[in-house]
Formats: sequence, C-alpha cells, structure tokens
Amino acid sequence: MKKLQFSFSTKLTFDDYVHDHSFALRFTPVESPAQHITAFGAEISPFASTRNTVDAFGNTVTSGFLQKEHRFLDFEINGIAEIDISKPKTDFMPCYRYQTHFTKPDVALSEFHRFSAEKCSCSDPYGKAMFYSEKISEQIRYEKGVTTIKTTAAEAFGLKAGVCQDYAHILLSMLRMDGIPCRYAAGLACCDGETHGWVEVWDGEKWVGIDPANDRPANEDYLILSQGRDFGDCAIDRGVMFGAYTKQLQLISSKLEEIA
Amino acid sequence: MTIADTAVCRSRPVTPVADAGEINELLRRYGVKFGIYKNGQFKEQLFPFDPIPRIIPAEDFKGIEKGLIQRVDALNRFLYDIYHEKNIINDGIVPENFVYISSGYLPQCEGITPPNKIYSHISGIDLVQGKGKEWYILEDNLRIPSGASYPLIARELTRAASPAAFSGNDIIDNRNYAKLLKETMDFANRGGINAILTPGRYNAAYFEHSYLAELTGAALVQNDELFVEDNVLYQKTYSGGKTKIGALYRRISDEYLDPLTFEPTSLIGIPNLMEAYRSGNVAIINALGNGVADDKGIYYFVPKMIKYYLGEEPILKNAPTYLPFYNEDREYVLKNLEKLVIKDVAEAGGYGVVFGRDLDEKALEDFRQTIIREPRRFIAQEVIDFLDLPILENGGEVMRKADLRAFVLSGEKTKVWASGLTRFSRNPDSFVVNSSQGGGFKDTWVLSR
Repeated sequence: MKKLQFSFSTKLTFDDYVHDHSFALRFTPVESPAQHITAFGAEISPFASTRNTVDAFGNTVTSGFLQKEHRFLDFEINGIAEIDISKPKTDFMPCYRYQTHFTKPDVALSEFHRFSAEKCSCSDPYGKAMFYSEKISEQIRYEKGVTTIKTTAAEAFGLKAGVCQDYAHILLSMLRMDGIPCRYAAGLACCDGETHGWVEVWDGEKWVGIDPANDRPANEDYLILSQGRDFGDCAIDRGVMFGAYTKQLQLISSKLEEIA
Repeated sequence: MTIADTAVCRSRPVTPVADAGEINELLRRYGVKFGIYKNGQFKEQLFPFDPIPRIIPAEDFKGIEKGLIQRVDALNRFLYDIYHEKNIINDGIVPENFVYISSGYLPQCEGITPPNKIYSHISGIDLVQGKGKEWYILEDNLRIPSGASYPLIARELTRAASPAAFSGNDIIDNRNYAKLLKETMDFANRGGINAILTPGRYNAAYFEHSYLAELTGAALVQNDELFVEDNVLYQKTYSGGKTKIGALYRRISDEYLDPLTFEPTSLIGIPNLMEAYRSGNVAIINALGNGVADDKGIYYFVPKMIKYYLGEEPILKNAPTYLPFYNEDREYVLKNLEKLVIKDVAEAGGYGVVFGRDLDEKALEDFRQTIIREPRRFIAQEVIDFLDLPILENGGEVMRKADLRAFVLSGEKTKVWASGLTRFSRNPDSFVVNSSQGGGFKDTWVLSR
C-alpha cells in the first residue's frame, strides 16, 4: 500500500468573453477497493453552482453552468489517496469487450495484431497485454503534437507516433481483437506533470493495470480519476460555451507524490 | 371543392372520399411536407395523398391491437433488462454480441432507470398484410418514429371535404392522438412543462413537430433556448426567467442530444441533458438507448422476448427472418439469395434494402461474399406477398404495395392509436413504401363495428 498526495489544476483562458458555458468534469478520483480516497478538495472559479452524479462507468461527474460572461475557468483538486493494488477490483461491464470509435482497427492494425498474437507465448490476458505493450513500444515513437485528442488507434498506428492516449487506444484495440475485456484509465502518474492515460485489462476475475506508454505495469504510483471504454468516456473536462472568442489556452499542472 | 357524393359503405369500402387533387392542394397549403437530403441538397417534398382509405374492420383491429400491446410491452421489458440485469443475455436467449455490437446500444445509459421504467413511449410498428389477410411485423421503430401527423391532418381535411363519408360509416375518430400523446407526456413528466424538441425547420419532420406541439399544448423548443442548471432542464423565458421542463419529447437522435456525453460537435444538442436525465429531473421521450431494441438484428429475437418476459405466445408474427450470423441460416441465405430480401441492419428509411431477384449473377455472387465477410451486418427475409391496395392514378384504380405504421403509446397503460399511417409504393414493381423513396400515403380507417 502506498499513500499518495495529489493535486491537479487546469486554467482555461479565453481570448474574449464567453457565456452560457456548460461543463462536465470527471476530476474526482474513483473510489475502489484498490484506491481509497482519505481526503479530497475541489475548487472551481469563477464560482458556479454544481451537482454530482455517477456515470455508467463509475465516474463522478461534476456538472455546472456559467450563464454570465467570463473569460476564464479554473479548477483544482487536491487530496490524499491510499493505493493498494493487491485488493481486487471487480466492477465488470460486458461493453469493455467490444471495439469503440477510438479503438476500431483498420487493416494495418489488424495485421499487426495478427503478427503479434502469433509470436506471443502467453495465453493469459495479462501476459498478452504485457507482450503487446512491448510490441507497441517497438513500433510507436513517443512524440507530442503529432496526434490530437480525436486521433483513433488506427490513425496513431499509421503515424507510428503518439502520446499516452494513443498507446492506450492501440493496446485496447489489440486486446479487444482477442475478445479480452479492457478499459481506459485516465488520471495522474508519478513523474508526469500532466494527466496520464493507461489501460486496465480484465484477467477473468479482476482488473490489472498496465501502462503501454511506459511499457510497464501500472503499480501503486497511479491515481485513477476516470475510467471507461476509451478516452471519450474519460475526458477530465468537457465544455460547451457561447461567445465570439477565437482561442482558448489551457494550462495544466499536476503533482503526485508518496507521503509517509 | 369536389366532394365525392357516394357514401362510403362497408360492402364497397374503396370509394375515394374526396378529390385527391383538392386534398393534395390543401396539404401543400398547410405545409404538410417532408424534407429529404439528396446529393447534399435539402429539398422539401409533398407526401402525396391518396383518397381511397385503407379500411381495417373492427375484428381485425382487435387482433392487431392485442398483438402490438404485447410486443411493445415486451420491448420495454427488454430495454430495462439490457440496461440493468441483462438476464435475457445471461439466460442465453439473445447472444451477447448482438446487443453490444448494435450501434443503438449506449453504454452511457447503463443503470439509468427512466420514469415508470418506460423506454419506448411512442413506438411506430410497421406491419404488412399478406395475401391471406394475416398480418406480419416488418420493423419496430422505437427511437423517433414519425408520421402520425399525416393521417391526422388528412382526416381533418377529408372530414371537411366529405362529411357524409364519416357520418354514414362507423369510423373511429382518430383525433384522439393528441390526447393520447399528451397523456403519455404527462405520465412521464417529472414536474414542469411538456416540450417538443426540434432540430429546426430544415428537419424532415418539422411540420410534424410543430403540428403535434400545437395539438398537445407542449412548447415547441430548439436547443438555443434551453439549458441545464443544477441538473434541471430549463427553457429561457422572454422576460429573462426560466421555466422547468419535466418531459422532453425530443425529435433529435441520441448521438446529438448531449455534446458533453455523446457527439462533441453536435450543435443541436443540450449540454448536460444526460445529467438532468440521470438525476431523474426530466423524462426523455423516447428514452435514450432504444436503438438496441429496434435494431434489425434484434428484431429476430422479439418473439423470443415475448415468451421470455411475458410467458405468452406472440400474437403477431414476424416476417420469416434469417440471421446470416448463424451458420444454418447463412447457408440457407447464400443458397436462396435470389428469392430473399436483404436488409442492412445499420440503415433506415428504406435505404440498404436489396431484393435478390433484382440482382444479376455477378451482383448476387458479390453480395454472397459480402455476407460471408460481414454476417452480422445483414438480415434476410422471405419476400411476403403483400395484399395490394387500390390507389387512384390518372382517374383509374391501380393496385400497389402498402404497409401500415401503427402507433403504440405507452403511458399508464399501453394503447394503440386506432388509425395509423398507410404508406404505398407509387412504383408498381416496388415493395419499398418509405416516404423518402417517393411513396405516398392514405388515411387508415379503423371501424368501430
């Protein structure tokens, strides 16, 4: 078991005033047997009345509406989590077995999967996931700015480059081609100043974490903020607003460290 | 106005009620149109009206009514089950992947219970009558079935044009649709007003949206006047205030309904509507996620659902259907392709329907390969020899294929509207009756005796 102190903040600044701004935030860490939150605080500025619901995937959704004109939206969370990956997480959904818009393979990715599956000596889901992760790392170069938040697994595979989200989508796609249920995890990881994305694979009884971008198991240095079939289900902040603004600037900072 | 002077009687029930030209002119003036997109251009078309009504005897209607209520009740039970316990999958009645591969299945709806557990409040069930007068279900439409307004307004106009036809015959008044719809909205309502959400005047069914709003007293709204605050859906008022909406009869597809949950680029949706819905503060009519039950592949399983949930034998039959997904069925389909009708499960509105007999040898072989490659994508059905209905063309009667869209409303009780939309094909060789494919419509008279 590890005790982690976390903080995460986003500053969204607009060129001009916006109004009628609806937002949905998935920034409350998921409570599970393996992840127990002992302290949590959240702040949103400018002040907005918010409500919490829990979505189909188990994420807390904080929704709000800013009708008045404003030029920025900041939110910040902080708290303490106890991570113990020896405690099994068993919240299963059958939809995790099926491809989504983000993970649907094309011919090239299917070929790569077939090639990798033939070479894999493991038959258990976790062993396969680790093997595929290694193969993906050989193929895909970690590079920022090549892909966007809309890039699919097939597109990223074609580009042979991407970030954590793309690595995760490619691994999800490959596991689902084998009929293995798996899901996307979004959150914070040690030694990473931004948000991170990785994969959980269903081993038949419980979820096991794996981080394909770093080609390693997702151990007790990982804090899950949201989970779902793919990035689309997990977006930490989504918003719709009205106004003549031309640009928005988003600054993210996060901190995750072990405490005694 | 020309009025047919022959009173309609049951012994010769095919007399036109009024001059079709006059009625069509009135429909045009009332703006009874539907819009379609063809080659990227929006066009409004008239939906041609035929003055010879379809007549359904009381005895016949009783059977249809019982069968439809049974079917819609089972479909509502299925939807609740799929988004909760999934017993029908766990018990092996419906294969898991038929549910989860369906584009209509929305995992975001898992665990949400709509008011009174009703998912399909307004169901449009398409039936055809065979040569032997038996009825078959062709398709269930549980998302946003349109068309109820056409027989409503046509009846209104023919009643004015030919009152004798109605006083001399025992025809059930179909003007109660507005009342049924209002009752349905009121029963689902979570406190607040009823509203009909339209994507706007460029939508194919805009006429219907405005007409139904007028008849039911619901507010006709577009997304730019709506917002969600504290997980409650509001309409902005002119004075700067807000009015709570308790039931939203939306005429927008699921994927465009909330850009914060579904398609992020949707400009016609309402941000955070899903949160208001999940919190139980607004009823959405029909519920989200219904597409999993009216999927053409799931259709095959509806008779099994009726037995499973209700412990009853299905009263109305499906058209004989094969799923190439099953080996045995696939062999049959590949062998008999030239006499079957094949439907692409992802298409609607008469698109993606192919009759094997229209294909040459090469096209048949190509299609067989497509089916082998993507067996889950298609269903195959025997071509039903429909009962032809007479329509007027150039002053004479000709026989054409027709279907019936029956409207089933689920509120406190499930009720069938004693009317419906009879659509016919204007092309003598075609079995496809959809309005988007150039078909016409006629009034449907249900007799009370």
